[in-house]
Amino acid sequence: MSLVDDIGPDAGGDDIVAAEYVLGVLPTQERATAARRIDADRGFAAMVDRWEVHFAPLAAGYAAVEAPASVKAAVDRRLFVDGSRRVAPDGGRPGLLSSLALWRGIAVAALAALALYVVLPLLAPRPAIQPPATLVASLAADGSDVRYLAVIEEPGDGIGLSHVSGLPPEGRAFELWVIAGEQPPVSLGVIPTGPAVRMVVGTDIREKIAAGAVFAISLEPPGGSPTGQPTGAVVAAGDLRKI
Amino acid sequence: MTPQDITKLIVRVSMKDRAAFDALYRETSAKLFGVCLRILRDRGEAEEALQEVYVKIWTKADRFAVSELSPISWLVAVARNHSIDVIRARRPAAVDIDQAVGVSDPSPDPEAAAALTSEGARVNTCLEELEKDRADAVRGAYLNGDSYAELAGRFGVPLNTMRTWLRRSLMKLKECLER
Repeated sequence: MSLVDDIGPDAGGDDIVAAEYVLGVLPTQERATAARRIDADRGFAAMVDRWEVHFAPLAAGYAAVEAPASVKAAVDRRLFVDGSRRVAPDGGRPGLLSSLALWRGIAVAALAALALYVVLPLLAPRPAIQPPATLVASLAADGSDVRYLAVIEEPGDGIGLSHVSGLPPEGRAFELWVIAGEQPPVSLGVIPTGPAVRMVVGTDIREKIAAGAVFAISLEPPGGSPTGQPTGAVVAAGDLRKI
Repeated sequence: MTPQDITKLIVRVSMKDRAAFDALYRETSAKLFGVCLRILRDRGEAEEALQEVYVKIWTKADRFAVSELSPISWLVAVARNHSIDVIRARRPAAVDIDQAVGVSDPSPDPEAAAALTSEGARVNTCLEELEKDRADAVRGAYLNGDSYAELAGRFGVPLNTMRTWLRRSLMKLKECLER
């Protein structure tokens, strides 16, 4: 019998609690207490880290299993499209959902006020024709002062953008993206500077622009994303609605 | 991809580089999904957990710098800890024993799986110094996220006895690992 055989359940101190935490055997309450200590107590955090290192080779026992593509799409939606979630530090749900509802509410109010203002000039060249169906999107995100209003006439090949507020930092440009359903974002190009601009898109991309799709604006190098996918922070986003 | 490559990706992710995040996901999501699936034993829950895990990786990648873990081990730790949090929340300790007794372990023999792929690792050598059922309890706890209550049910001993057993095993293990 070695010395360590002769102990009770409470012997071993913090280091054994750290080992129990890493193994995952602790009951709910004790586990929560240990998790809080990791954040507050650097000595304890170091013990936990050392046990993670000790046990890490056991992870070889986990078989790799391909995850369905919908998981990555959902991660991207949460991190990069839905602005109200993007800025949350820890992903706490109820607050985020309510703030999403809030900004949607604001977006609708903003649409009502701004749509008329933007749509009328766009329609001006052909006043005699019956007004065509129009898609609008109010682009905004929590923690960002960038606001745009996008208007698309159907049929048509142009996107009208009214710049409401916010400018890209020095040496960066705004790039506009459309996300249809679960598909990856498709670039609509770098947004020209100006209070009201018009961007022309090809017919293949035009087909993706429909009610329910999402417009997003990301910060990119001046010529646009070098990868064909957004590389910088999403500073504004909003979904397209028919009016 | 080498550990150095994965380290670079994690560092770039900590600087909010989205292309690096996509590459990191491509390289590591299958392993981390395996972790979530093994612990949660439910595809839907594992998919949801994997989502949370990558959201955490995006928001907490800077913490990797202060860890001594290898990059893939750090990612596995994020996935394991999240999955274990989920099962502890799902199954309160009070009902653990009832649920665990008589429920057989559907996963393959963890000892065999681990020994097969991580031969020579110090932790395996040290586990061999323990009695076989104690070593199995430690490996099973690590891989499946078993709680003390579940282990007690499986080994047919009272919860406190189980905890005393496992703590003794951990102290012996520590003695060996630091030898």
